[in-house]
Amino acid sequence: MTGDPSSPPPTRFADEIERLEEIVRRLESSDLDLDESLKLFEDGVERLRVVRERLKAAEVKLRQVRGERVDR
Amino acid sequence: MGAGVDLFAQAAAEGALTVGDFTRRARAVVENGLPPLWIRGEVSGFKRWRSGHWYFALRDRSAQIRCVMFANENRRLPTEPADGMQVYVFARPTIWEDKGEFRLTVLELMSTERDGLWQLAFQKAKAALERDGLLEPGRKRPLPAYAERIAIITSPDAAALRDIAAIVRQRWPLAELMLVSTRVQGDGAEGELCAAFAKLKRIPRLDVVIVGRGGGSKEDLWTFNSERVVRALAAACVPVISAVGHETDVTLADLVADFRAATPSAAAAAATPDCEEVEAHVAHLATRLGRSAATRVERAGQQLERLEDRLDGAVRWRLERDHQQIAALAGRLDALSPLKILDRGYSLARDAAGRVLKRVAQLEPGSAFRLRVTDGEVHARVNES
Repeated sequence: MTGDPSSPPPTRFADEIERLEEIVRRLESSDLDLDESLKLFEDGVERLRVVRERLKAAEVKLRQVRGERVDR
Repeated sequence: MGAGVDLFAQAAAEGALTVGDFTRRARAVVENGLPPLWIRGEVSGFKRWRSGHWYFALRDRSAQIRCVMFANENRRLPTEPADGMQVYVFARPTIWEDKGEFRLTVLELMSTERDGLWQLAFQKAKAALERDGLLEPGRKRPLPAYAERIAIITSPDAAALRDIAAIVRQRWPLAELMLVSTRVQGDGAEGELCAAFAKLKRIPRLDVVIVGRGGGSKEDLWTFNSERVVRALAAACVPVISAVGHETDVTLADLVADFRAATPSAAAAAATPDCEEVEAHVAHLATRLGRSAATRVERAGQQLERLEDRLDGAVRWRLERDHQQIAALAGRLDALSPLKILDRGYSLARDAAGRVLKRVAQLEPGSAFRLRVTDGEVHARVNES
């Protein structure tokens, strides 16, 4: 198990998913200009990459709140 | 019975005892003759003194006796008995010498109904929580959909912790479990639990907390019926999942928690999404993302084509309009042409340079000029006078 409590991932998974859902919703609604759509699409692809990476790298971490770790 | 009253010595007035001697001796008789014993009766005139000592009478239809239960004994009880409650007391009979009163020093007290005092305490605490709105269903917070940091308040040796870790590992390995160790039963457990709930504030990015209990007897559940503990739970900075009760015994902690789980495993499942479902959701989003972008680009293409058509149409229309304008101008120009006048029988005289000859002075005798009539031009000459 790895993971440093002082450097948590910069974004929350929930925020990434929420952003992705928002992007898809906006892209599916049709009132965007092409330029904006493409920017959103790129952003969506990046969010996808992030969540997929997080899902792939996942491994449960168990820590004692006082600081010492309790691995089982 | 050495401390008993010597009936022979006190048979005459000369041997009279002082009140103090007598009550002291009577007390010795009572205390030595009546060991601590169980007595049953109804509580009446209950009073709790500032010192924490309890004073009340036990009575039945025919008799009553005054009782005291000192603070260091009654501290173990969940609450005070109510007047009218039927109780068993384990008490030491005594005589209070200063008042000459027969009393019971109560060492233990329990309701004649099963868990009566606990029930009473439960009801009292519940009523207090209800008054403050803590049992309102509306104040329950939704659990996070993708919890990444989950605190677990339980004793470190509890099976609950193992169960929770196993389920989280299986369902949602992204999560980080933050163990907040505390005693969950016995002396000091209440204080430690309250401190544990308060400590959650210090864990950054915490999403949810599970409070669990590793089995134990029914009495041990009491900690989770403590008003103090339940208020600390209600004040927690993140949603609380309780996994403390039995199927049959709902604790106040269960009632106030944002979600009540029957077991620690169920609590872990409630705190986490299923990884496979999340992956499926992400895949679905990816499809929609791609499709919506493709649709957008396609639509842009169609828009472009439509725009081309419109441009084309506009140009053609413009040309046509220009054409008509030119024809109209030509018509007007034509109408203004001097040649039209020649039609009416006028003619136009011009010299060789093309200048129009309008005056007699310009037409010298013998000079040649050209005469334009409606269908052509003839050469002419002015007569020699």
